[in-house]
Amino acid sequence: MKALAPVVANLARVAGVVVAMVVGATDGLIVETSTVMGMAPGDADPRKPTAALAAYLYTKVIRASDAARLGTPAFMRLEAERGHIFVVGARDIVFVTIVTTDANLGRVRLEMMNAAKDHS
Amino acid sequence: MSDPTVAEQWVSGPLTRLKDDARLISGVLLYPSGRAVGQFGFSNAADVMSICALTSAINASARELGRQLDGKPFYEMHHAGAQRQVFMARASAGAQEFLFVGVFDRESSFGVVEIYFAEFQKALEKLHPQKVVAGAGPSGDFEGELNRSLDALFGPIGKR
Repeated sequence: MKALAPVVANLARVAGVVVAMVVGATDGLIVETSTVMGMAPGDADPRKPTAALAAYLYTKVIRASDAARLGTPAFMRLEAERGHIFVVGARDIVFVTIVTTDANLGRVRLEMMNAAKDHS
Repeated sequence: MSDPTVAEQWVSGPLTRLKDDARLISGVLLYPSGRAVGQFGFSNAADVMSICALTSAINASARELGRQLDGKPFYEMHHAGAQRQVFMARASAGAQEFLFVGVFDRESSFGVVEIYFAEFQKALEKLHPQKVVAGAGPSGDFEGELNRSLDALFGPIGKR
Protein backbone atom coordinates (compact mmCIF):
# COMPACT_ATOMS: atom_id res chain seq x y z
CA MET A 1 0.00 0.00 0.00
CA LYS A 2 1.26 3.47 -0.86
CA ALA A 3 1.89 5.99 1.88
CA LEU A 4 -1.26 7.89 2.77
CA ALA A 5 0.19 11.29 3.65
CA PRO A 6 1.05 12.21 0.02
CA VAL A 7 -2.43 11.09 -1.10
CA VAL A 8 -4.07 13.38 1.45
CA ALA A 9 -1.74 16.24 0.52
CA ASN A 10 -2.56 15.71 -3.16
CA LEU A 11 -6.32 15.72 -2.52
CA ALA A 12 -6.08 18.77 -0.30
CA ARG A 13 -4.35 20.70 -3.09
CA VAL A 14 -7.36 20.40 -5.41
CA ALA A 15 -9.21 23.72 -5.57
CA GLY A 16 -12.32 23.73 -3.40
CA VAL A 17 -11.25 20.91 -1.09
CA VAL A 18 -11.66 22.18 2.47
CA VAL A 19 -10.17 19.10 4.08
CA ALA A 20 -9.09 15.64 2.91
CA MET A 21 -8.92 12.68 5.23
CA VAL A 22 -8.20 8.98 5.26
CA VAL A 23 -10.46 7.26 7.77
CA GLY A 24 -10.73 3.73 9.13
CA ALA A 25 -13.70 2.12 7.40
CA THR A 26 -14.94 0.20 10.43
CA ASP A 27 -13.92 2.39 13.36
CA GLY A 28 -14.37 5.83 11.78
CA LEU A 29 -11.09 7.10 13.22
CA ILE A 30 -8.84 9.46 11.29
CA VAL A 31 -5.74 7.79 9.88
CA GLU A 32 -4.36 10.78 7.99
CA THR A 33 -5.69 14.28 7.52
CA SER A 34 -4.90 17.60 5.93
CA THR A 35 -5.37 20.90 7.71
CA VAL A 36 -8.77 22.57 7.40
CA MET A 37 -8.74 25.37 4.84
CA GLY A 38 -10.10 28.65 6.14
CA MET A 39 -10.60 27.49 9.71
CA ALA A 40 -10.28 30.45 12.07
CA PRO A 41 -8.73 30.06 15.51
CA GLY A 42 -11.44 29.07 17.96
CA ASP A 43 -13.62 27.43 15.30
CA ALA A 44 -14.84 23.93 16.06
CA ASP A 45 -12.72 21.40 14.20
CA PRO A 46 -15.04 19.52 11.82
CA ARG A 47 -12.67 16.64 11.09
CA LYS A 48 -13.30 14.11 13.86
CA PRO A 49 -17.13 14.12 13.74
CA THR A 50 -17.16 14.31 9.94
CA ALA A 51 -14.77 11.38 9.65
CA ALA A 52 -16.69 9.20 12.10
CA LEU A 53 -20.12 9.96 10.69
CA ALA A 54 -19.10 9.84 7.02
CA ALA A 55 -17.46 6.43 7.50
CA TYR A 56 -20.55 5.24 9.38
CA LEU A 57 -22.83 6.55 6.64
CA TYR A 58 -20.71 4.83 4.03
CA THR A 59 -21.24 1.46 5.76
CA LYS A 60 -24.98 2.08 5.48
CA VAL A 61 -24.63 3.04 1.83
CA ILE A 62 -22.82 -0.26 1.21
CA ARG A 63 -25.77 -2.09 2.76
CA ALA A 64 -28.31 -0.07 0.80
CA SER A 65 -26.44 -0.69 -2.42
CA ASP A 66 -26.25 -4.38 -1.64
CA ALA A 67 -29.95 -4.51 -0.76
CA ALA A 68 -30.74 -2.86 -4.09
CA ARG A 69 -28.54 -5.47 -5.80
CA LEU A 70 -26.25 -2.77 -7.17
CA GLY A 71 -23.01 -4.22 -5.87
CA THR A 72 -20.28 -2.24 -4.12
CA PRO A 73 -20.78 1.52 -4.18
CA ALA A 74 -18.05 3.32 -6.11
CA PHE A 75 -18.55 6.84 -4.85
CA MET A 76 -20.73 8.70 -2.37
CA ARG A 77 -21.57 12.40 -2.66
CA LEU A 78 -23.60 14.19 -0.02
CA GLU A 79 -24.79 17.54 -1.25
CA ALA A 80 -25.58 20.10 1.44
CA GLU A 81 -26.46 23.78 1.54
CA ARG A 82 -22.89 25.01 1.79
CA GLY A 83 -20.88 22.24 0.20
CA HIS A 84 -20.40 18.54 -0.29
CA ILE A 85 -18.97 15.53 1.46
CA PHE A 86 -17.34 12.97 -0.83
CA VAL A 87 -16.56 9.45 0.32
CA VAL A 88 -14.78 6.68 -1.56
CA GLY A 89 -13.99 3.29 -0.06
CA ALA A 90 -10.76 1.37 -0.54
CA ARG A 91 -10.80 -1.89 1.45
CA ASP A 92 -10.11 -1.04 5.10
CA ILE A 93 -10.09 2.71 4.64
CA VAL A 94 -12.32 5.41 3.21
CA PHE A 95 -11.24 8.69 1.65
CA VAL A 96 -13.35 11.58 2.88
CA THR A 97 -13.30 15.16 1.62
CA ILE A 98 -15.30 18.23 2.49
CA VAL A 99 -15.69 20.31 -0.64
CA THR A 100 -17.04 23.80 -1.32
CA THR A 101 -20.01 24.35 -3.65
CA ASP A 102 -17.88 26.10 -6.27
CA ALA A 103 -15.24 23.37 -6.47
CA ASN A 104 -14.51 21.40 -9.60
CA LEU A 105 -16.45 18.35 -8.43
CA GLY A 106 -15.35 16.24 -11.38
CA ARG A 107 -11.70 16.84 -10.59
CA VAL A 108 -12.15 16.03 -6.90
CA ARG A 109 -14.07 12.88 -7.78
CA LEU A 110 -11.39 11.78 -10.24
CA GLU A 111 -8.57 12.34 -7.74
CA MET A 112 -10.44 10.41 -5.07
CA MET A 113 -11.27 7.53 -7.38
CA ASN A 114 -7.61 7.32 -8.43
CA ALA A 115 -6.51 7.34 -4.80
CA ALA A 116 -8.97 4.57 -3.98
CA LYS A 117 -7.81 2.52 -6.96
CA ASP A 118 -4.18 2.84 -5.84
CA HIS A 119 -5.12 1.58 -2.38
CA SER A 120 -7.46 -1.26 -3.29
CA MET B 1 -34.45 -1.48 23.23
CA SER B 2 -35.40 -0.48 26.78
CA ASP B 3 -35.11 3.05 28.14
CA PRO B 4 -32.48 3.71 30.78
CA THR B 5 -33.31 3.11 34.42
CA VAL B 6 -31.66 5.70 36.62
CA ALA B 7 -30.90 6.30 40.27
CA GLU B 8 -30.64 10.04 39.58
CA GLN B 9 -33.28 11.45 37.26
CA TRP B 10 -31.14 14.18 35.71
CA VAL B 11 -28.98 11.63 33.83
CA SER B 12 -31.98 10.03 32.11
CA GLY B 13 -32.10 12.43 29.13
CA PRO B 14 -28.39 12.39 28.32
CA LEU B 15 -28.21 8.60 28.73
CA THR B 16 -31.19 8.08 26.41
CA ARG B 17 -29.64 10.32 23.75
CA LEU B 18 -26.27 8.58 24.04
CA LYS B 19 -27.91 5.16 23.72
CA ASP B 20 -29.93 6.19 20.67
CA ASP B 21 -27.35 8.33 18.86
CA ALA B 22 -24.38 6.02 19.37
CA ARG B 23 -26.53 2.91 18.83
CA LEU B 24 -25.27 1.29 22.00
CA ILE B 25 -26.56 -2.13 22.99
CA SER B 26 -26.03 -1.61 26.70
CA GLY B 27 -24.34 0.81 29.03
CA VAL B 28 -23.83 1.77 32.65
CA LEU B 29 -23.03 5.16 34.15
CA LEU B 30 -21.46 4.95 37.56
CA TYR B 31 -19.41 6.80 40.13
CA PRO B 32 -15.75 5.78 40.33
CA SER B 33 -16.63 4.19 43.68
CA GLY B 34 -18.71 1.61 41.80
CA ARG B 35 -22.11 3.04 42.64
CA ALA B 36 -24.43 2.85 39.62
CA VAL B 37 -26.16 6.03 38.46
CA GLY B 38 -28.02 4.71 35.43
CA GLN B 39 -28.10 1.81 33.02
CA PHE B 40 -29.73 0.53 29.87
CA GLY B 41 -29.74 -2.83 28.16
CA PHE B 42 -29.63 -4.91 31.34
CA SER B 43 -32.52 -6.64 33.04
CA ASN B 44 -30.48 -8.33 35.72
CA ALA B 45 -29.13 -6.46 38.76
CA ALA B 46 -26.34 -9.02 39.18
CA ASP B 47 -24.96 -8.15 35.72
CA VAL B 48 -24.92 -4.46 36.55
CA MET B 49 -23.29 -5.21 39.90
CA SER B 50 -20.50 -7.17 38.18
CA ILE B 51 -20.00 -4.45 35.57
CA CYS B 52 -19.83 -1.70 38.18
CA ALA B 53 -17.30 -3.61 40.25
CA LEU B 54 -15.18 -4.48 37.20
CA THR B 55 -15.38 -0.99 35.67
CA SER B 56 -14.39 0.60 38.94
CA ALA B 57 -11.43 -1.76 39.25
CA ILE B 58 -10.40 -1.39 35.59
CA ASN B 59 -10.57 2.40 35.90
CA ALA B 60 -8.33 2.36 38.96
CA SER B 61 -5.86 0.02 37.22
CA ALA B 62 -5.89 2.01 33.96
CA ARG B 63 -5.22 5.24 35.79
CA GLU B 64 -2.25 3.79 37.56
CA LEU B 65 -1.02 2.10 34.39
CA GLY B 66 -1.27 5.42 32.58
CA ARG B 67 0.66 7.16 35.31
CA GLN B 68 3.39 4.53 35.19
CA LEU B 69 3.66 4.42 31.40
CA ASP B 70 2.74 7.87 30.25
CA GLY B 71 2.99 10.08 33.31
CA LYS B 72 -0.76 10.72 33.25
CA PRO B 73 -3.83 8.55 33.82
CA PHE B 74 -5.56 6.72 30.97
CA TYR B 75 -9.14 7.94 30.88
CA GLU B 76 -10.55 6.11 27.88
CA MET B 77 -10.42 2.48 26.87
CA HIS B 78 -11.70 0.56 23.89
CA HIS B 79 -11.71 -3.17 23.38
CA ALA B 80 -12.80 -4.56 20.03
CA GLY B 81 -14.07 -8.10 20.26
CA ALA B 82 -15.05 -10.31 17.36
CA GLN B 83 -18.71 -9.34 17.49
CA ARG B 84 -19.04 -6.66 20.13
CA GLN B 85 -16.90 -3.82 21.37
CA VAL B 86 -16.54 -2.18 24.76
CA PHE B 87 -15.99 1.52 25.28
CA MET B 88 -15.07 2.80 28.71
CA ALA B 89 -14.45 6.43 29.57
CA ARG B 90 -14.49 9.05 32.25
CA ALA B 91 -16.97 11.90 32.25
CA SER B 92 -16.91 14.84 34.59
CA ALA B 93 -19.58 17.27 35.64
CA GLY B 94 -18.34 20.07 37.80
CA ALA B 95 -16.13 18.51 40.43
CA GLN B 96 -17.96 15.20 40.18
CA GLU B 97 -16.46 12.39 38.18
CA PHE B 98 -18.37 9.57 36.49
CA LEU B 99 -17.41 6.45 34.60
CA PHE B 100 -19.28 5.13 31.63
CA VAL B 101 -19.05 1.73 30.04
CA GLY B 102 -20.95 0.92 26.86
CA VAL B 103 -21.23 -2.01 24.48
CA PHE B 104 -21.81 -1.73 20.75
CA ASP B 105 -21.59 -3.90 17.66
CA ARG B 106 -21.22 -3.38 13.92
CA GLU B 107 -24.29 -1.16 13.89
CA SER B 108 -22.06 1.53 15.35
CA SER B 109 -18.35 2.34 15.38
CA PHE B 110 -15.75 3.50 17.85
CA GLY B 111 -15.57 6.88 16.12
CA VAL B 112 -19.32 7.38 16.33
CA VAL B 113 -19.40 6.36 20.00
CA GLU B 114 -16.59 8.81 20.77
CA ILE B 115 -18.44 11.65 19.05
CA TYR B 116 -21.67 11.10 20.93
CA PHE B 117 -19.89 10.43 24.20
CA ALA B 118 -18.33 13.90 23.90
CA GLU B 119 -21.86 15.33 23.54
CA PHE B 120 -23.03 13.25 26.48
CA GLN B 121 -20.22 14.64 28.58
CA LYS B 122 -21.23 18.21 27.68
CA ALA B 123 -24.84 17.40 28.60
CA LEU B 124 -23.76 16.05 31.98
CA GLU B 125 -21.73 19.16 32.60
CA LYS B 126 -24.73 21.34 31.74
CA LEU B 127 -27.38 19.42 33.66
CA HIS B 128 -25.43 18.37 36.71
CA PRO B 129 -27.17 19.65 39.84
CA GLN B 130 -25.03 22.09 41.75
CA LYS B 131 -25.48 20.38 45.09
CA VAL B 132 -23.13 17.48 45.71
CA VAL B 133 -24.90 14.15 45.55
CA ALA B 134 -24.67 12.51 48.94
CA GLY B 135 -22.39 9.51 48.98
CA ALA B 136 -20.97 10.05 45.51
CA GLY B 137 -17.44 9.71 46.78
CA PRO B 138 -16.04 6.50 48.20
CA SER B 139 -17.30 5.90 51.74
CA GLY B 140 -15.43 2.67 52.31
CA ASP B 141 -18.67 0.72 52.17
CA PHE B 142 -18.28 -0.46 48.59
CA GLU B 143 -20.77 -3.31 48.80
CA GLY B 144 -23.38 -1.21 50.59
CA GLU B 145 -23.11 1.59 48.03
CA LEU B 146 -23.37 -0.85 45.17
CA ASN B 147 -26.43 -2.55 46.63
CA ARG B 148 -28.18 0.75 47.33
CA SER B 149 -27.65 1.92 43.75
CA LEU B 150 -28.89 -1.41 42.37
CA ASP B 151 -32.00 -1.10 44.55
CA ALA B 152 -32.59 2.28 42.96
CA LEU B 153 -32.24 0.85 39.44
CA PHE B 154 -34.01 -2.49 39.76
CA GLY B 155 -36.00 -2.23 43.00
CA PRO B 156 -35.15 -3.88 46.32
CA ILE B 157 -34.18 -7.57 46.36
CA GLY B 158 -37.32 -9.71 46.43
CA LYS B 159 -39.23 -7.18 44.34
CA ARG B 160 -36.91 -7.39 41.27
